[in-house]
Amino acid sequence: MGKIIAVHSYKGGTGKTSLSVNLAATYARKGKKVCLMDLDFRAPSLHAIFKKQNLDYWLNDYLNGICEINKVLVDVTKDHGNDGKLYVALANPSTEAIRDMTAKDRKWEMKALGRLLSLRSALLNDMDLDYIIFDTSPGLQYSSINAIVTADVVLVVTSLDASDINGSQRMTTELYDLFEKKTGILLNKVIAEYLSSEKEQKKFNKYIKNIHSLPVLATIPCFCEVLRAAGDFIFTEERPEHPFTETLEELATKVENF
Amino acid sequence: MAAYRKLEARSTQLLEKIRENLEQLNEKIDVMIEIQKHGTHEIPENLPEALDVMTLLSLPDHLRKTAVTLCKLGEATADEVSEHTKRARAVESGYLNQLVVMGYMKKERKGRKAYFFVDKEG
Repeated sequence: MGKIIAVHSYKGGTGKTSLSVNLAATYARKGKKVCLMDLDFRAPSLHAIFKKQNLDYWLNDYLNGICEINKVLVDVTKDHGNDGKLYVALANPSTEAIRDMTAKDRKWEMKALGRLLSLRSALLNDMDLDYIIFDTSPGLQYSSINAIVTADVVLVVTSLDASDINGSQRMTTELYDLFEKKTGILLNKVIAEYLSSEKEQKKFNKYIKNIHSLPVLATIPCFCEVLRAAGDFIFTEERPEHPFTETLEELATKVENF
Repeated sequence: MAAYRKLEARSTQLLEKIRENLEQLNEKIDVMIEIQKHGTHEIPENLPEALDVMTLLSLPDHLRKTAVTLCKLGEATADEVSEHTKRARAVESGYLNQLVVMGYMKKERKGRKAYFFVDKEG
């Protein structure tokens, strides 16, 4: 039985999308069958990374009950699958669609939760996928909480910014714990000097243990090369020897056994 | 002989009816116990429109677990919910009935079994 992973964060710009995409690519490279879904309907981004603009059906249409999920899935295995399989389900980036999604009422959100929950049987059972990865929108809002309720594992991406740390702490007690979710922290954009020596690293780990009660599944240094890629290509695919790729591989294994 | 068989069938029917009524009574008592234990303050005056995630967040822990499980199962008996939550059937029956009283879910009888479900159409 496969796993559903929700990648979430308190604030925007923490690196959710970059880590979701690279984690999906890492699993595909390991021969897994993966589906990556853009659940950030307010600020869709996966269409830009996978360079898909004119689709007949979007993930919005599946949640609206207009079509089934097989119409939404785009098979990008040829370009990104490596040994495995990679599908993406994209959020509609048009202003009209964004406006439509932000105006939904509670009843719609309840139905959307039902649609997300049925992905488990459609994708993990019927299509036999190994992983579904939800790239969510930040903070406490319907689409991200729906994703968290549906997921088996929640990965919380956080920087060391004070407001981000504080927000992640609050979400731990007021969101993830309440739904009894297996949750792990991904510390992103960590300044390299904190990890420069064994001594520094020990000091850093001690500091992190004091602020986060959840297990830290990855400590990802801030790499200028990753920034330079500017989301134009999938970094772990182009740079298999880079330490960022190594870190993602370790993360993939940890999540597999989490 | 025919009259005897008719009488026998009739009494089986009656016994069945009595059993059903007893089960329903049991469930009602469960609800009353629940309400007594946790108070009625959780029951909103106006019936809620939907069991959405924000509502799930606002529920007390013991009810949230039951409600999330039912959302995942779609439709289920107290037995099926208790298999997932690893709590006793009678406990789940009480919580499910309380959620029905609160207006978050509905209950329907099919034969002897009571099925609970989230009403998506209102």
